[in-house]
Amino acid sequence: MKIPRLTTLASVAVLVVLALFPVIGVPLSWLNYLFTFFIYLALANMWNLLAGYTGLICLCPHAFVGLAGYTLAIGTWVGVPFQAGLIAGAAVAALFALIISYPVFRMKGIYFAIGTLILPEVLKAWFNFWRPVGNAYQGMGAGYSVKGVAGVTLGDTYWLALAIAAASIFLVHIILRARLGLGLKAIRDNENTAASSGVNIFRLKLSSFLIAAFIMGLAGAAYFIFSPRIQPTGGFTISWLLLPLMATVIGGEGSEEGPIIGAAIVTFLRFLLADYGAWSLLIQGIILLVVVVVMPQGIAGLLRQVGAYRFPQKLFQAAEGKIRKA
Amino acid sequence: MEVTLVGLAGPLIKGILLGGLYVVIALGLSLVFGVMKLINVGHGDLVILGSYFALAAMTWLGMDPFLSLVIGLPLFFGLGFLVQKFIINRTFRISLDAALIATFGISIIVQGLVQARFTAFGMSLATDYRLLTFDVGAVTIPLRYLLDFIGGLAVMIALREFLRRTYLGRAISAASQNEPVAERMGINPNRVYSFAFAIAMACAAVAGVLQGLTFSFQPTSGPPFLIISFGVIILGGLGSMAGTFIGGMIFGLTQTLGAYLSGGSMLVQAIAPYLLVFVVLSIRPQGIFGR
Repeated sequence: MKIPRLTTLASVAVLVVLALFPVIGVPLSWLNYLFTFFIYLALANMWNLLAGYTGLICLCPHAFVGLAGYTLAIGTWVGVPFQAGLIAGAAVAALFALIISYPVFRMKGIYFAIGTLILPEVLKAWFNFWRPVGNAYQGMGAGYSVKGVAGVTLGDTYWLALAIAAASIFLVHIILRARLGLGLKAIRDNENTAASSGVNIFRLKLSSFLIAAFIMGLAGAAYFIFSPRIQPTGGFTISWLLLPLMATVIGGEGSEEGPIIGAAIVTFLRFLLADYGAWSLLIQGIILLVVVVVMPQGIAGLLRQVGAYRFPQKLFQAAEGKIRKA
Repeated sequence: MEVTLVGLAGPLIKGILLGGLYVVIALGLSLVFGVMKLINVGHGDLVILGSYFALAAMTWLGMDPFLSLVIGLPLFFGLGFLVQKFIINRTFRISLDAALIATFGISIIVQGLVQARFTAFGMSLATDYRLLTFDVGAVTIPLRYLLDFIGGLAVMIALREFLRRTYLGRAISAASQNEPVAERMGINPNRVYSFAFAIAMACAAVAGVLQGLTFSFQPTSGPPFLIISFGVIILGGLGSMAGTFIGGMIFGLTQTLGAYLSGGSMLVQAIAPYLLVFVVLSIRPQGIFGR
């Protein structure tokens, strides 16, 4: 029998423990923190896939999140159960990515960044005026509440978010070890060389863009099941871009562990600074600046530089060797 | 609504005049983009910071917004110089992405700062001449739109003459055309970049005053102006001050004519300029007049 590697076993164990949290009666506030962490983690992972491994500085996660949220909310108004709405939301986000892919992939580098930054603004303006179902109500713009989620407990949304976050990690892990990941890295490092080596740039970029849009949509829809009210300003808020971007940059762009470290820090900061309103934005900005100037490779890059991984790695290898011998 | 020549005159004139505001906002971004090929994502927020500075000078010192520029211009110039020297020049050498993210950080800091100091409510520079209007034939035009146009023209010409006639201006042009060669001619690129960013910040201070007189503003008003000014640059093409001027006019006209032709639809007014930029970007990323 093939013995699974110790690192695989360890991550499975962590996953099982996390999944047991709602059952064994962990305080609800903890579940709340972890839920937020999982959502940010999924977003950050996908942003890392785009920016760190494909070289696409995509400034439109809030378009995917908002679209998925709106699909979910409007769906529940016409009788679609929220479980189906969750998938439909992610599918709409991916469809949107497919539609915009042709024009935005014509733009390179900085133009791509700005081109994608425009899209959420258009959507925000659009959803401010477009109201397909239900009467307009005063003072809320074109907001919707998500119906039929009254019976959903925090434990349920927690499991949902955990599943999405775990899937996002697993997905990136698989992609990086497949042909797709190799092609993506080639595109990131030098697009022209990749093209002349026979990499189909458009198709590969599109695959990673669609995957990212889908998972971001899923995470966004899960958030709006947890907090069942959506408005144009809340659904398409720039925070949905800012959080994954900060998590990835602080943690370390282009590394698998970076978004995990970063998402944990961003979540921690968010709850720590929750009472300070505008100052929290200011502090986050300063942290972002300091990280970019002082350690451009992020915390994961710094850890790698000082060789912090060597000791645990040796430990793991030694332990695995002993298991094999026994 | 029937489209008549007389009815069209109003939106046409307003669009052109309003374009002047977009020109001033875009010029700062254009300068930085032209020299460093870097989009300062925080530019819109710096413009809004200019509006808030004028507001502060007005409420605390009782200064007219235009008079407050006497303090505002050197202050913003110095601030820009320091930001470029200590933050952007460093990250710029690492990678373009790092610099982009650094300017994003500046954007959040400015937003947080003004929100903490001035609350999130909408404000405006309530001078006594803000709401004055005058008549041209049958068309009534707000005075502030004319001020926008005059401001746009003045800043454009000043910047153009500066880049053509002064040593520093020529050094900036040289570094933007070919940095390695410029460096061999004895130009220090980092220093030139610092001055370029400082001038861009000074432009943002002027733009902030005009913006504050024209529209009301709140801490989150910045990003839309970034997109608008990027659109103006794309329409006008890089490195050409006159091109930026024309781009601003086109942009203002898109907004006013779009609203007029669609019968005053708020949706069209809000979306038309963005769609215009997006379409131009995807068809000709280097801009209509760009090389």
